[in-house]
This record gives sequence, structure tokens and C-alpha cells, in this order.
Amino acid sequence: MKWIRGSALSLVLFAFPALAGPPDLSGFWALDVQPKTGDPALMAKLPPNTAVLGDTGANEYPSGEYGGLKPKPDALAKAKKWKPEDEMTLQRVCAAPSLVYSIQGPFPVEIYQTPQLIVFKYEYFDQVRIVFMDGKHPPESAPHSKTGHSIGHWEGDELVVDTTHFAPATITNNGLDHSDQIHVVERYKLSPDGKKLMATQWFEDPAVLDNAGARYIQWVKREGEHVFPYDCDPSLAVEYQQTEKLEDAK
Amino acid sequence: MKTKVVLLALAPALTASGAAVAHHSFAAFFDPERLVKLKGTVTDFHFTNPHGTIGFEVRGADGKVQKWRAETNAPVMLMRRGWTRSSVKPGDVVTIEGWTSRDGKPYMRLRQAFDATGKPIGQQPFGQSDR
Repeated sequence: MKWIRGSALSLVLFAFPALAGPPDLSGFWALDVQPKTGDPALMAKLPPNTAVLGDTGANEYPSGEYGGLKPKPDALAKAKKWKPEDEMTLQRVCAAPSLVYSIQGPFPVEIYQTPQLIVFKYEYFDQVRIVFMDGKHPPESAPHSKTGHSIGHWEGDELVVDTTHFAPATITNNGLDHSDQIHVVERYKLSPDGKKLMATQWFEDPAVLDNAGARYIQWVKREGEHVFPYDCDPSLAVEYQQTEKLEDAK
Repeated sequence: MKTKVVLLALAPALTASGAAVAHHSFAAFFDPERLVKLKGTVTDFHFTNPHGTIGFEVRGADGKVQKWRAETNAPVMLMRRGWTRSSVKPGDVVTIEGWTSRDGKPYMRLRQAFDATGKPIGQQPFGQSDR
């Protein structure tokens, strides 16, 4: 009898997957460096006039390259003045990027999921982000921060996260910064076997960019692992500054 | 302890991607086409995020000592490759391979390090597409 009830329940859940509830994204996720192309269904949902950046994971843009983003003249002029050595100061070396840049990087994330809240605990700079699933938009008085204010909802098996209230920070880690008006939409879904987490990150910032940008990011699940504390130590900047050029290089 | 430069050579063209990103851009800060391999004596090792660093002295063919510093990937990443705070200690003789900074300083991003016996430190090198 139990077998019959179980089989009947499985049949119902197969026929009506929404009854099974949303997928469980919980767990430890490490960046997947393998994918060369994004999940076609997720990529197809990116709006037109979007430049898909190629700096996810290990790849980075050198100075002056922004992956097809079209910075406005003021933003471009500022970006062109940027020098990598500028970041190697006590004031800058531990300045966290916003999630706009940091979620694509090499560091893992732990996800904790409840019906009301989904928490992303990132290793990079110890950033923690709460996605509010109650549908309420943040009040205008909400502070701007490097993690922004995120609200989420499920569209079938996809978690859609809408984030505003970011503090200005880098987009491409080479001098191009977003404003506090940037708007980010992410879509997350599991691979059919549940072992991979796939996402697109789309953003628009009319104060800085004439087009929109996006990244495709994919992670693999690892059981039993946890993010390590980051505890950024700015003494690296001093060590760099105290490294003197070689006599024959002066 | 006598040390010497064992190799200083241009590497084949590498892509503009970095060994790993932490706070600053590899591609903007380091020259991905200039890979050097140096043998020296460790003066200090800092195992801190956003990057660890290894200070080491290299004695050139002319007998002069050059003070180099190798920046590592973030220690959270090194730990997953088998590195610990005691993987390198002052006085150790090491050979370090890495990409030099673009600003001309004796400063590099570590790709791989070897102990005095030639055994690799950690489980595998940091490359173009790893973390």
C-alpha cells in the first residue's frame, strides 16, 4: 500500500513539477572552469543590446578592454586614467568589489535556502547576500552597499534575482566602474542531474553604459566543503611598495 | 647560502587571462608573456588574503643579491592546493616560477614553487585556466 501511495505521488510530481516546490540550490558550489558556452535556454533570455562578457572565471580583460560594453564618455575617460598600481595601496588593496564583479570570480559560494530567504555566503571578501523572497521591494531609504538589495522569485525551476542599491565599484576590474544606479538581474537553475548550478548575470547602468552587459557563470557542487574566511590583510600593499626596482631596471 | 638565477626567459605567448584573480587584475598588472624561473633564499612568507607573498633573495652571476617578491594566489586557493602557512619558511632555498609585473619591479605572480630538492610545493601549478 505504501508503495502504491509513493508511486502515485511520484507520478503526480512528474506530471506537475510545480507541486514539488522549487529546486533546492543549497550547498557548496565551486566555479566550473570548463564551460565554453552558456546554457542555451538561459542565454536566450538575455535582452537585446547586451554585451556578453568573456571575463568569467580565470579570464580577465587587460587595461582598455571592456568586453563590448559601451562606456559613456565620462566613464571611459575615467577608466583610461586607471593604472593597476593604483590598487596596490593600503586604502585600495582590501576594497571589496561589488557582487557585480565578484560573483564571477574563482572563489566558491555556499547557498542556504528557505521559502522566505536565500542566503549566498561568498568566500571572496567574506561577502554575504540575502535574497528576500517575499516580493517586497526595498524602501528608497535602504542603504547602498557592495552586496546591494536583492529580491527573488521563482519562474518554474529558475530563481530570478533582482538587485539594486549597489555602492559604486568595478565592473571589469580594470578601471571601469558602475554607478549606484546599476540594476542587476540574475537567473539561476540547476542542471538536470543537480550537480551544476548555471546562471546568467545581466546588468544595466544608464549612468555609465550605453548598452547592457551580461555574464554566464557555472558552478559545480562539492559535498562536505565550506568557504574559508577571507580576512583581507592590506599589508600586501606595503610589501609591494617596498619592493624596489632593480638597479639595472632603473 | 649561495643562490643563483637559474633561468630568465621569455615564455611562449600566453593569453591575457590570469592565473587567478583576487583583488587586482592579473592581466593588467602582470605580463602574461614574461615567465621567469628564479632560485633564491626565502626571507619571509606572508600567508594572507588577498594574496600571499614570498620574499626571496636571488644571487646573480655577478654575485650581487637581488630582492624579489612573489605574489601567490589567494591563500584560500593555496590551501585547496595543499599549501599551508609553513610550506615555505625563511632560510629555505626555493625555485619560483612566475609572471613578472609590468612595472619593472622584481615582483611576480607565482605559477609554481619547488623546494631545495626540486619537489613541487603544493599539488599542482597555478595556470591560465585554473583557480
